[in-house]
This record gives sequence, C-alpha cells and structure tokens, in this order.
Amino acid sequence: MAKKAGHYTVVGTRQPRLDGALKASGRAEFTDDVVLPGMLRGKIVRSPIPSGKILNIDTSKAERLPGVRAVITYKDTNGLMSGSDKFLLCENMVHFFGDEVAAVAAVDEDTALEAAELIAVDYEPLPPLLSMEEAMAAQAPALHDFMTDNIADEVTMSFGDPDQAFAESDYIREDEFSVQPTHSAFSEHHIVLADFSLPDRLTVWTPIQSSAIIKSSMASNLGLTDSSVRIVNLHTGGAFCGRGGDKPHHYIAALLSRKAGRPVKIMCTADEEFLVYRGGGKYKFKLRTGVKKDGTLMVMDADLVHDCGAYMETQFILLRFVGSNMQALYKMNASRYLGKLIYTNNPPYFFHHGAGLVAMRFAIDSQLNLIAGELGIDPVDFRFKNAVEKGYITPAKFTYASCGLKECITKAARKAGWKKKYGKLPAYRGIGIGCGMLRSGGKGMYDHDNSSVFIKLEEAGKAALFTGLPDMGQGSHTTMAIIAAETLGIRIEDIKVVAGDTDVTPYDVGAISQRGTFTTGNATINAALDAKRQLAKTAAEKFGVKPAVIIFQDRKVYPKGSPEKAVSFEDIVYATLHSDEGRYVMGRGFYNPPSGQSDMSKYEANTALAYSFGAQIAEVEVDPETGMVKLLRMTVAHDVGRAINVLGVEGQLDGQVFSGMGQTLFEECVMEGGQVLNPSLLDYKLPRPFEVPEIERIIVETSDPYGPFGAKEVGQGPIQCTSQAIANAVSNAIGVPIKELPITPERVLKAIREKAG
Amino acid sequence: MKQILSLTVNNDTYEVAVSPWRTLLDVLRDDLGLMGTKRGCGSGTCGVCTVIIDGRAILSCLTLALECAGKSITTIEGISSPESLHPIQKSFIENGAVQCGFCTPGIVMTSKALLDEKPQPNDDEIKEALAGTFCRCTGHIKIMEAVKKASKQ
Amino acid sequence: MRLPRFEYVRPQALEEALSVLAQSGSRAKILAGGTDLLVNMKQRTVCPEVLVSIKTLSELLMVSSDAQGFTAIGSGANLTDLAANAGIAEKFPAFIQAVRAIASKHIRNMACIGGNVCLDTRCWYYNQSKLWRDARERCHRTGGSVCHAIKGAARCHAINSSDTAPVLVALDAKISVMKKGENRLIPARQFYCDDGIRNTILEPSAIVTAIHLPDGNGAGRSAFIKLSMRRGIDFALCSIAARANINGAGVTDVRLVLGSIASMPIVLEKAAQVIMEAGLTQSAIEKAGEVARTELGIITNLFTSAGYKRQLAGVLVKQALNELKGKTAKRGGAKA
Repeated sequence: MAKKAGHYTVVGTRQPRLDGALKASGRAEFTDDVVLPGMLRGKIVRSPIPSGKILNIDTSKAERLPGVRAVITYKDTNGLMSGSDKFLLCENMVHFFGDEVAAVAAVDEDTALEAAELIAVDYEPLPPLLSMEEAMAAQAPALHDFMTDNIADEVTMSFGDPDQAFAESDYIREDEFSVQPTHSAFSEHHIVLADFSLPDRLTVWTPIQSSAIIKSSMASNLGLTDSSVRIVNLHTGGAFCGRGGDKPHHYIAALLSRKAGRPVKIMCTADEEFLVYRGGGKYKFKLRTGVKKDGTLMVMDADLVHDCGAYMETQFILLRFVGSNMQALYKMNASRYLGKLIYTNNPPYFFHHGAGLVAMRFAIDSQLNLIAGELGIDPVDFRFKNAVEKGYITPAKFTYASCGLKECITKAARKAGWKKKYGKLPAYRGIGIGCGMLRSGGKGMYDHDNSSVFIKLEEAGKAALFTGLPDMGQGSHTTMAIIAAETLGIRIEDIKVVAGDTDVTPYDVGAISQRGTFTTGNATINAALDAKRQLAKTAAEKFGVKPAVIIFQDRKVYPKGSPEKAVSFEDIVYATLHSDEGRYVMGRGFYNPPSGQSDMSKYEANTALAYSFGAQIAEVEVDPETGMVKLLRMTVAHDVGRAINVLGVEGQLDGQVFSGMGQTLFEECVMEGGQVLNPSLLDYKLPRPFEVPEIERIIVETSDPYGPFGAKEVGQGPIQCTSQAIANAVSNAIGVPIKELPITPERVLKAIREKAG
Repeated sequence: MKQILSLTVNNDTYEVAVSPWRTLLDVLRDDLGLMGTKRGCGSGTCGVCTVIIDGRAILSCLTLALECAGKSITTIEGISSPESLHPIQKSFIENGAVQCGFCTPGIVMTSKALLDEKPQPNDDEIKEALAGTFCRCTGHIKIMEAVKKASKQ
Repeated sequence: MRLPRFEYVRPQALEEALSVLAQSGSRAKILAGGTDLLVNMKQRTVCPEVLVSIKTLSELLMVSSDAQGFTAIGSGANLTDLAANAGIAEKFPAFIQAVRAIASKHIRNMACIGGNVCLDTRCWYYNQSKLWRDARERCHRTGGSVCHAIKGAARCHAINSSDTAPVLVALDAKISVMKKGENRLIPARQFYCDDGIRNTILEPSAIVTAIHLPDGNGAGRSAFIKLSMRRGIDFALCSIAARANINGAGVTDVRLVLGSIASMPIVLEKAAQVIMEAGLTQSAIEKAGEVARTELGIITNLFTSAGYKRQLAGVLVKQALNELKGKTAKRGGAKA
C-alpha cells in the first residue's frame, strides 16, 4: 500500500492536531475534570519503611471519623495481587517505602487525608537491601518468601558463535557503564476515578496507554467478565512509557468504590508520583566488544544487572528487549547477553521514556566511540561502516524491510558540519554522534497484537473514526484522521475521531511498543478501504461499471479514466445510506502484524515488521571549572518511513531530544535509604526553557513496504540516539570517557580531575 | 469558619463561601466549575495552574482564595470563546505547541500575560516568562516558536 | 497537596498586625507572597493556627531614600516590581540581579522581598511531605537529636538558599525589624544565624518591615553570580555577592559573601584579606579562590556534595573578583 511520495494530498502535510483547540482553550476533559454525583475521594496509606513486618493495622479511628465511607486493608482484597509478586495491599510484609498498606474513601479530600493519618500501623522494621550488590551478596536474605535469592529474573541470549568471533577479533575492549534511576514526570499526575457501585459493572476513568490491557487485567483480577469492565480514557497528560497498564491505585479505587457503593477518585500528590510511577531503575552494564583492525564490528558481549526494585511489574520484558536489540543497530556476527533483574527494597521500577533501551544504547555507542578512537577511525565513518542496511537480518532475526540508518548518519553529519568540527573545536567544546533504532509496531505482551478501527460515514460526507488507541499527546488521533482522509479521498476536516471508551471504541492493544502509527494506522487503512468498498457498490451501480474501477479522490467519486463523470463523495454517501436496502456505511478494519511471535523461550524472532533508525549529533560546551555542560545544538535525523504528519513528527523529535537531554545531563532520582530524596519538580532537575538547545531536524523517508503509506514509528526511536550523542560530545570536549548517566557537573569535574591526575 | 467571598473571574462576579485554607485553584475548579485551570504539582514549580490576576501570571495553587477579593481574575475560559480563539491559542495550535495539552492552558495564560506586558518580547524574555512552566512533550521548542509567532501578529 | 486548616486574619494597619502577632506568638505566621510558606504548610513542616496576611499593608510598600544615605525598600515590595525598578537597579545592580535570579517569573509575580530575605532554610530530609519526613529518625528540626545532612552534627545544617541574603550582607544593608513597641535596625550580617532551624534572629511576633541599602556601597563595584543546574525555577548550588571599593590607593573594603551552601550567608574574611593586601591582581584572585575553599568550615552534602560546593565557592570567588576587576566573567552553566 506504499505509494510514491508526492502523490498524497493529506499525508505528508503539516496538520495541526485535531484536539488542539480544545486543549488550548482548556475545554479538553481530563480525568480530574470528571465529577460524578456522590463521588468520594480516596487516599492510600503507604509504608514509611523500605522493609518490615506489619504487626498490626488499626483502622478503628479512621472508620469513626465523620465523612469516611470506606476503609480497606489486605483483608478486604481477597488476596488480590497486583502483578506476579505483589499483594495489592500488603498482607504482613512491606517491601518498599511507599508500599500500599491500606486506603480510605471519604466525602472530600481533607477528610480522606485526615482518615488516612488516623490509620495506625505497627511495623517491625527489617534491614533493607538497598543496592543490587547487597541484594546479590551470598549471605543476603531473600526479599520475597517465595524466592531463595534476589535474582528476580535472569536471561541469557547467544546469537552466532561469540567465542569464535572474539577469537577472530583484532581488538577487544571491555568497559563498564551505569545509569542512575530516572523518572518520567508527566504533567498530569496518576489519577483514577472508579465506579464499582454495582458488583457486575466497573467503570474506570484514567489516563492510560492501553485501555485494552487495563480492561482485561482488571476484569480477570476482579473476577469479572471482560464486558463488565468499561475503561474511559479521556485526554491523557503525557505517558512516556510510564502508563502502560493497570497499577495498584486503579484497583484500590475500585475496591473502595465497591465497599462504599459510590464512585471514588484518587489523585496522586507530587511526591506520590515518585512512588506510583516509580521511574527507570539503575542499570549496570559490563560490555565487551571485538572488532577487526579495519573497524569491522565482530561481536558484543553484555552483562546487565538492573535494579528491579521491590516488585517485578513488567521489567522482565525490558530485560529481554535489551538482549534482543543490542546487536540490531550495527552489523555483527555474534553476540552474547546475560541480563539479571535484582530485587531490592527500592521502589519498583518501570519503563522510562525510551522503552528501557536508552541505557543500553548509551553504553554501546559510547564504547564504540572509544574503540573508534583507539583505532584512529572517525566516529561517523565507524558507524557508517558498520551500520545495518535494508535487507539485513540481525543475529536475533530482525529483518529490515526498510532502513535509512546510513542516510541518517550521512545527512546528520553533513548538516552538523561534522568534518569541519570534529577534532577542530576549541577547548571544552565537543561534538558527538549517537545512533539508535527501534522496532515499530512490535508484538507487545500479546501474540494477538490487534488494532481495530471503525469508520462510520454520515450524510454530509463526513466520517467518524472510532479507535481504541489512546492519544497521550503524541498526536496519534490526528495521524489516524490523516490516514483515513487520504484513503477515503476526503479532507482531514471531514473526519472526527471518537476514542477512549471501551464500550464504544473497538479493541486496540494501545499506544505501546510503538504500534500506534504502524498497527492502528494499517487498521485505519483497512477500515477506510472497507467503507470505500461499501460506497463503491453504489457508485458502480450508478456508473454501470465494476466496483473495482471506482476512484475516490478530492471528495469526488468517478470511474477510472472518466473524471468528468465525477459525483461528489457526499452524494455517494447519501445515496448509499438512502438506498432501498438502507445500506448503512460502516467500514471495519483490523490489523495484527504478521510478524514473529514474542516467544519468551526462543529469542530469535522478527517481532516487528518495521524498524525505525536515527542518528543525532550533539554539540556541547563544558565549563571546566564548574563541570556544567550546555547542550548547544542537536542535529536530529530520523528514518520515519513516511512522515504522515510533518508537524507531529517534528514535535516528537523535539520532545525526545529534550527528554533525552534531561536523562543525560540533568535527571536523577537521588536514592537514600530506599527513599527518593528529590521527589519534586524543584529538586528532580528537569530542564526548562532556558536549557533548550538549538535543534536541526532532518526527516528521512524510506517508505517501509509494510507501514501505512510507508510510515514507521517516531514515538520512541529518536530518544534512542540522544544520550550517547551528548555523552560522546562531552567526552570529546573533555578528553575523558563518560561512563555514567546522568552527566552531572560533579561527575564531569571528577572526570576532568582524574585525567589531570 | 467559612467566609463569604466575592470573586470576579472573567468579568463575572461570584459569591462563594470559602474556608481560609482553600486555594484559588480549588475554588475555581471545585466551586465555580472552571476546569480549564489544571491541578499540577501544587507547590509552584510546574505552572499548570497559572491564571492572570491584575495583568500578571500567578500560580493559583499558592494563592488563597480569600486574598483574591476585589481582584480581576482571568482564567483560560476568559480569554476566548470557542468560536474565536485568542491569537496565542491559534498560534499554539498551528505551530504544534500543543501535545498532551495538560500544561497548555497554564502556558497559554503565561504567554498571554507576557504578550500583554511586552508585545514584542525577545527570546530571553520569552524564556524568562516561561521558565516556571513545564512541558515534557514538546520540550518547550514549539511553544517558544508559537509565542514568538503570536507576538508578530 | 492540601493546606492544613488555619484561621486567617488581615490587619488593616501595621500596628494592628503587630498586636495580633504579639498575642498569637508562635501560633501565628506572617503571610505575604506565600510562595514559600504555603508550600511548607502543604508539606506540614509548618502548621500555624493563624495566618496574618500583611500583603496589603501600605506601610510595607514604600521605597524611599533617607537622609542617612540609605535607600529603604519596604518588605512588601513585589519582586517583579523591584526587578523592573530602574532607579534601584542603577544604585544597586547586584541586588537587582539577585532579585531577578529568584525562582521563576510566576513566583516573582507573587512573592515579596521580605519573604526572600527571611526565606526559610531547606533540607531534603526535612522539606518533604509528612510521609517522607516521618520515615527517618527524628532530626534536630523534627524534635530529635541527629542531622541527616552531616552525620553526628550537633545542630541543624539546613541551607539558606535566599538569593538576596548574601547581597544584603555584602552591601552592609540593614534590616528593619518591628514588633509591638519595638523598632530595631539590624545589620544584615547579624540578622542571619548559623542555625538551620532558626536562620534569622526574627522572633515569631516580629516583622521585617524594610531593608535599608547603603547608597554608598551599591555604587562601588559589586557583583552577584548564581550557579544552578537550571536557569529559572531553581535554587542556587552556590551563589556569591561581592563588593569592593577600588580607588587610586588600591582596593579596600572587599566583601565576598557566599550564599546557598550553609545555614547563613558565609562571609569570606580571609579571601577578602588576600585582595585587600595584594589588590585585584590575577595571582591574588587565584589565591583568593584557593583560600576561599579552605576558609569554609564544615559544609553539607545537601543537594550536592560538600566537595563540589567547595569547588564552586572557589570558582565563584574568582569569577566575582574578575567581574569586580572589570572583566566579564567566564561563561558558566546556568548563571543568572
């Protein structure tokens, strides 16, 4: 279905987002804006210690407080689990500072807060395991009683013959890299409104990346049928990988509502955000890489230990992503990977912006820079030489039907003036390149990775597009409207998107694994084609031709080759709806990428049909006395397959460069005693307007044969390049390798000092 | 002890009974139903709750409702009608400065206060005005472009 | 985050406010801009029974010059108004630079100078929600006897992050403090205390009514530099206010005052002495930077390590002295 560029009327234009006016005028509805009759406010009581036994919970005072309508503890949860290893409300053990212990619902927030403080919990503190080293020590007690040690998960992957490849290498380098915990910090806090007043009907309003996941999880965990649960996902204030599916607060609100017989809203406070979302955990990489003298990459061996925190959540997926993606960017013969996920008494970690792969890309690309340096090869040439290409199959069997990596490298280098600058900048100025890739429309948690779309046509020739794909800000609803408009031969303003209510919208696995544009986009094309087929029947009857020759273009319908016979799209829709049979026009489309299954025991699989690629070049200035780094300029080239909406693509590039810069230079959850010491936007140093770099955007279009109009993801691919570009630039500026993120001023100074001896 | 308060919001006058500890943000959202002003960090660091009082961008989460008696308060609902958006809003939409939209009302109000005061701000003045806001989605880049473009109209 | 319950009073005149405060004692807190106090109240570090709103008291809004050669700025002066006050900026450029470096424009639109001068100290073991704070052993500030910032310390080492405090000390400003029946003018240096819990001498029943900047000191060479991770909405990692008189005879009256690294602004006597002895030569400036690092006493690892603070102190001393010398300082990171 990929056509040549330039043949489109809507695809490839700059379209302001459809909900822009609603959002810019404050009329867009977010979960906190929903107020239901009789609605209560909920508050969660959390563990004040990172590890310990619960000796007693006394809720009597809270229950007696006027205005309190429900109090719940473990006893009210029927042993309900949240994930594979966590009781929704702790039974007799707490495992992290912030662990959910009890909850209250009251008539207003002040009363709920007061009631929560009246719940008296006696704890017997236990010595916490606060670092991976402590947790892995031979004598360390197992954090969970169902375990014998603290290795939450372990995975080994080996592709090709790594030993042979190392033996054939001329040069082998080994380094260690680490990345500190980070946080997504989206502006809309975690929030849920649950109405479980009746036992067989649960409605949950919440910002989420996947209504499908939360719906099926909540149904099965609460013993409900799928159809008893309705998820309403209104506008969502950012997600960045942090709002994948169900979390404890969703269940807590539901149980409180069940007990009180009234709807309950829980909104997390700013500091609770650092307990509920939980950030990306600490990574430690040991990386060994072999190359030939001429710079040909041979083999890579990576050991990862990753702090999982107290509970597993979905980190096991991350652990596997790292192993199957590490050899996917540069050609190599073989690779080996050993990944370990370690339970500690830190807050349970999760994905952070970049699908959990940013740390790995930072480590690999930083080491490659060091290798290039030792071999005397220009870092750009080194990457170009080893870059994967169209048609390449990686050791893990990723198969590249389209690939613009080399084009990205070349164009970014040219635009950034690499040749003029590399090695020629004044002291303490540096330039660095980073590359990245990411699968597009990957198989997520389900083999059945389906998106479905309905397109309903109305008399005036307008269309309503029904999708279950959430738009957390990335603009996917506008993207779907563009795809539908292009396919139907109408304008974007003829389309309205209906989304966010599982009682109304069709099944969609959601905005995870970069599947929006790719998977739901293909489903949208299919739905539009289905609608066209229904209209073509009417047109064919009218023109006395076969339906297959009917053309839809510019809101006109005509037989192929006879544009002079054209009638308006509106008339054909009208005629169909008003046909003798009353043929209602409802296009139905679905798509499940026929890519490899995400088999957890065998890692060789082409788990997506398309992959995006990118290269970024950072230019920095370092103050050698304070260690402060300023990112001056970022040149961003990304192979998006096809830019469906150029304005939207630019927004994604900008946002990821900025977020990536934050992760690289500013952001760190400072941990002590299992607590984040900086749980606020004041102390967790997200960059702000003054820190914005100059940005040069280069959109590379390779027209992927499987993508809708050739499009691939741009949702988390660009951020795969950012950290290492900046780190390599800093390293270039100060002449010292950078091996830890974030690159705080203190770490920079330390590096400069160590170099000076 | 609730006090009866007369609040002038978007040129409408409301009489509300409020406890001293309630913030302007609480009253706007919970009593007056003006939900366009969003609830963010609650401690003055994100700018999501920005409204304009007597021409200046202020944080409604750190303003006691009682202290607003007799002042002219403008919220996002007061700067335009659905049929005719403010030039800043149009510029935000056209230039891709809106993504998830949660921070947008606060940033629009911040930008309006800036352009009302300085119709042609330079880059540094734009950054200074927006420094107390926070947009993870756009990285502020297109927001600053949108403010700049709106200032030229 | 919710505010705790309190009683709100709004006196119509300063005298009335002083009476209310005299009656309420430590049960009351003064509410002016509220940008710091209300955050602390939301975190329950402060739970006053009474808030005395002084925002509208006209006595606190005056800006005037007096016969003794001081410019008096009422404590209620709004920070945005002050930042735009060309007359004061001309007389006291370092002071206005500090005002402009405070937090964000939103905060400056709301806050007043008195609040920044009296800004409470911060510590990330203390300035947290109740859940966070209660998770730790009680510290000096929460009624215990340990300090989480400096293990074994006998007192609270929370940090004074006021941007204007070091400038007031460097300029030898005076602070006008009133309580019922008493009006005192206190040199800024004596106003601040080296104690994280009680970082000014201000009693609960007293109000800072004005700051008095000596006209003679502002016009001399002065500088203010703030280093922070972000430019905008950030406290300093370290700041410096500096002043010197440079005349034919050499350099006299050198003041170097560091902010944001201890419980009070730190006056660097020895580093200043180096310059007064040798003048603003390049080698003396280098030496002053070195001396500054060693001159600092025990400092904390709060927000950033003690070693890094020491480094920044040395760097800022050099940058400030270079600025006094007339050179533009080297570009820093997020320098305000």
